[in-house]
Amino acid sequence: MLILSRKLGESIVIDGRIHVTVMRVDGDVVKLGIAAPSEVPVHRQEVYEEIQRSNQQAMTKQTLPLPKLAEAIAKPATKLDGKSKT
Amino acid sequence: MNHTATIEMETPPAPPDNQVRLPLGVLGFEQIKNYLLLADPAEKPFAWLRVADNASLAFVVIDPFIVLPDYKPDIPQSDVDFLGLKDASDALLLGIVTIHGQNRATMNLKGPIVINRHTQTGKQVIIANAADYSVQHPLPVAAAV
Repeated sequence: MLILSRKLGESIVIDGRIHVTVMRVDGDVVKLGIAAPSEVPVHRQEVYEEIQRSNQQAMTKQTLPLPKLAEAIAKPATKLDGKSKT
Repeated sequence: MNHTATIEMETPPAPPDNQVRLPLGVLGFEQIKNYLLLADPAEKPFAWLRVADNASLAFVVIDPFIVLPDYKPDIPQSDVDFLGLKDASDALLLGIVTIHGQNRATMNLKGPIVINRHTQTGKQVIIANAADYSVQHPLPVAAAV
């Protein structure tokens, strides 16, 4: 692992296009500013771990009985028909 | 020898309708890439995203918008490109459901599975606005009678 020391306001540049700047240091909290192109996803590591744990908990045997949902949601004959903001 | 047989380039047969390929797997199950989307009308609004070569492993999934109509997942541009989505209507979103028991079920809104309806290829996407949503968003389970 590459380890670099940075002072407040200083940055590192990754791949010539991702800029990580130390914005604020307050005790054991370091605030980082990240400027990256929109196609570079930036997430806290906890999000990955949280989703991974959730997936592991969700993977199941197909014979599991499913709960009944409240009328308002169970009723409409909705197809699995999503839409998304892209 | 006389090679008169015609050799034609054929487009590969379209995969069966319910086949879903997740080239990157889902987080924690990266090695499993082929799934079948199975829906039993009696189990609406749930469906199953079943591991293609293991009938005993599956995710329960649900259309997140029927539970949360104002769900606004911000799908990162890199994922839009990866999936080849040209329009919002190309995408099918599935929320992975965790069944905690007969009286409690939740869905993951931070990491929906986004599928390109035309290519039947998908990915578990960590939405850019994941901080606004829960991995365990409670589903309104009907009170037991």
